[in-house]
Amino acid sequence: MIVELFIPAIIVLLAGTIFPILTASLDRRSVRTISLSCTIVGSILLVSLSLLILLYGEPVYFTLFQPLPAFSLSFVIDRLAAFFLLIIAVVSSCVALYFTEYIEHIAGSNRRNLLCGCTNLFILAMVLVVASANTISFFLFWEVMAASSFFLVMYEYSQQNTAKAGIYYFVMTQLSSLFILLGIIILYLTTGSFDFLPLTTTASAPLITVAFLALFLGFSIKAGIIPFHKWLPYAHPASPSPVSALMSGVMLKIAVYGLVRFLLDVFTPDLWWGVLILAAGTASAVLGVIYALKEHDVKGMLAYSSIENIGIIFTGIGLSVIFTASNLPLLATLSLLGALFHSLNHAMFKSLLFLTAGSVVSATRTRNIEHMGGLAPRMPVTSALFFIGAVSIIALPPLNGFASELLIFISFISSVSVVDPLFKILLFICLSLFALTSALSAACFVKAFGSIFLALPRSPESAAAKEVPLTMLIGPGILAAACILLGVCALQIFATVGFTVPLPDMLLVSLLLLGMSVLTYVVLYFTASREVRVSETWGCGTLSQQASAEYSGHGFSEPLDIIFSAIYRTRTINERIFFDQKNCIFKEGTGEIRLLKVFEEYLYRPIAQQSLKVAEGVSRFQNGCLDTYLLYVFVTVIALIIFLGWFA
Amino acid sequence: MNFDFILYLIINTLVVVAISPLFVSLIKKVKAWTQGRQGPSVFQTYFSLIKLLKKEVIYSPNSSWIMQVTPFVTMAAILVAALFVPLVFVPEPIGGIGNIILFLYLLVLARFFMALAGLDAGSSFGGMGSSREMSISSIIEPTTVIVFAALAFVFKTLNIFDMFVLTSGSGLPATPTLILIGISLFIILIVETSRIPVDNPETHLELTMIHEGMVLEQSGRNLALMELSAAVKMTVLMMLLINLMVPFGLATTLTLAGMLIAVIVLVVKGSILAGIIGLFESSMAKKRFFQLPSLFAMAFFFSTLIIIIEVFS
Repeated sequence: MIVELFIPAIIVLLAGTIFPILTASLDRRSVRTISLSCTIVGSILLVSLSLLILLYGEPVYFTLFQPLPAFSLSFVIDRLAAFFLLIIAVVSSCVALYFTEYIEHIAGSNRRNLLCGCTNLFILAMVLVVASANTISFFLFWEVMAASSFFLVMYEYSQQNTAKAGIYYFVMTQLSSLFILLGIIILYLTTGSFDFLPLTTTASAPLITVAFLALFLGFSIKAGIIPFHKWLPYAHPASPSPVSALMSGVMLKIAVYGLVRFLLDVFTPDLWWGVLILAAGTASAVLGVIYALKEHDVKGMLAYSSIENIGIIFTGIGLSVIFTASNLPLLATLSLLGALFHSLNHAMFKSLLFLTAGSVVSATRTRNIEHMGGLAPRMPVTSALFFIGAVSIIALPPLNGFASELLIFISFISSVSVVDPLFKILLFICLSLFALTSALSAACFVKAFGSIFLALPRSPESAAAKEVPLTMLIGPGILAAACILLGVCALQIFATVGFTVPLPDMLLVSLLLLGMSVLTYVVLYFTASREVRVSETWGCGTLSQQASAEYSGHGFSEPLDIIFSAIYRTRTINERIFFDQKNCIFKEGTGEIRLLKVFEEYLYRPIAQQSLKVAEGVSRFQNGCLDTYLLYVFVTVIALIIFLGWFA
Repeated sequence: MNFDFILYLIINTLVVVAISPLFVSLIKKVKAWTQGRQGPSVFQTYFSLIKLLKKEVIYSPNSSWIMQVTPFVTMAAILVAALFVPLVFVPEPIGGIGNIILFLYLLVLARFFMALAGLDAGSSFGGMGSSREMSISSIIEPTTVIVFAALAFVFKTLNIFDMFVLTSGSGLPATPTLILIGISLFIILIVETSRIPVDNPETHLELTMIHEGMVLEQSGRNLALMELSAAVKMTVLMMLLINLMVPFGLATTLTLAGMLIAVIVLVVKGSILAGIIGLFESSMAKKRFFQLPSLFAMAFFFSTLIIIIEVFS
């Protein structure tokens, strides 16, 4: 049954990839619609498949193709894989639905066919990564995913920022693949197998630690854990919004999947691995949201917010590893459930936010939130959808973000009575930082929603913005409904898949909220005056209100900027030219206060410069002269002979 | 959901709505006395609310649906949060009602809507209020969560109902840890209800306005809802503090006599705390906005101290 659903889904997605590439010369809407319909059909098949496995199923194992005895393309779909397949499929179908209309509004004539094909390939690769039964096919599809997403990022290649984003993305993603390959090879050397099997040997423990570190680095880079996060805030603004939604909503989760899969199935983790993951997660969560506050590009802001949420997910995984290593299986399950549920929730609300942000950007033709404003009356449905996403992401009850963050909160708080004293202190520090993260993200999204949708429009484009067509509202609408459903029925959903979690009954809380609102309304209806008047905002006696007098996004985040000024390092640049030599009479000058990109300037640049130097050194060997190359060959042969004579 | 619990929902909501304007007036009265003034009547807040209900609502032409739904959502969120803190009797918790983290986040839900409504009309006063409110609430949040975690750690439960049952069994706050938690909770109470030294609830000056800035564009019945919800929020936080510190009087079974005593004790205890808040406010000046983080650091220090004491004892 499962295989009968899986194979057609793969074939449909493959058709969606190949068809638009074959018909790349035809710049027709129908081609793109057919291709994206394939995505939707494939996704629906995958959704039903993964629900079947999540609810009843036993793991399914099958082999498609076996060229060598040690190597096969085999797939296994167990509950973990099915869960991530569900994430991929739900987000992909909604994104594809939105994309059918969005793609007609962007430039690029028949290149848009390739965009469709690439999107399908990207989704297909992610599905196959998750379903892979051995490390070698895992890596193979991981690379396909990396390459296809690179093409997606480079879609608007003619723009200056895109080239930079592309370079960053390419380098980082290949670095991630390299580390993962290293980890896989070390694991192969210790076990002699490419399967996801528990390690039994403890003899080569240092080697296993190296394997873990390599894999952890690889997945962290792909997930955007600080300090390996730099590609995210470049790649997201550069790529088309639906692609950002897929990359942020789904691709980052594939890295999470990889980490969880290796931790659960292969390794027996040490305590300090958990501490490492927890520390990385907490640092990313706090710094991610602090940088998000400062960002005025709406998609850049969402990218930093993804870093924050991935940090939260890693926090949950780290806790789970710590509890596993301390022999607390119940708490380990609880925090892992929190992390996984947050992955699902983040996929829903982040793709919702990216899609609605895409609608806003295409309506106002700017990504700078300072040039928006006043969109709530102009785009009512989009504003409501974005609002649901914002409420979910800042973890307000009763929506889904709250349910998963509460699980992590509960596992934090209930852990303190069981682990040993020093760990308690560490956990409390992480807990307070976790609380800071969620409060700051509230400030961040109040600022974002307020600047984008409320008050007066701050640019003519924003004043003329119109609501997007219905097809661009259905996809985000489904995601918004999922956000509400996953939040309100969280307890019931966990019960359905067979887990008892100490969550409050959010259905009851939602009903109480609704009841109280209705009660307030009814009481006021009978007791209060019902007169309503529309009149000018009070502005200390000024005659008409001006958009320039409003509180801007910059102004909004200024108090937090000052409080966290130690983290926002700035550089002041003053250049002055004088008429006289003693620098007395000022002629002209420029002044600038620029935010330092700490990681870029102190970590990325130095490494890049060092590798350039090494590359220059190596390139001296390449002088293009035939005699030199003959010399190299001769020296190599001699060296080999001596080497063999010595050892053989 | 049994009969007791439904009765609890009704009684708790009625009591909190009826009683909270009284505490607001009491604080004003105490402050007036310390300044050598007569001060308004202790029922003045009730009169003001009734007056506001009779007035028309004025919306700005720039405002959106946020402005219209905010008063109702704020009121509903605060009323549901009020259900998490039993005032007169403690029923069996049902469906996770009483979870302390959920309680905290319901308050955040109200604040989120209020901050957006502050930005909605496009007035710079509202924006200033929202910006400051979100900043202050972000930096107090770690302290709040640590204090709540300390409570959960001391009582071995996350549920406020269970905490109250445990304290009401023990009588007075004997342990030093609870007193330290009390200090932190008091600072949280001051911050969350926008009182001196964080904010001055009596003025509309640009220098102080945080909460008042956000509700500046509200009018008529909407303003009445915002004022009442602020009062209810204050009462609920006061009761959380009181019932943990001085727990006697809270009924654990459902009897009419017990509840009557509980209501009387509640008013007395609440009035004393209101008096203390009034004196506290009168004894100090408003702090500069950017000096506030140091105040919060103090609360954070106390709560972390409790944790360390508890961990190593």
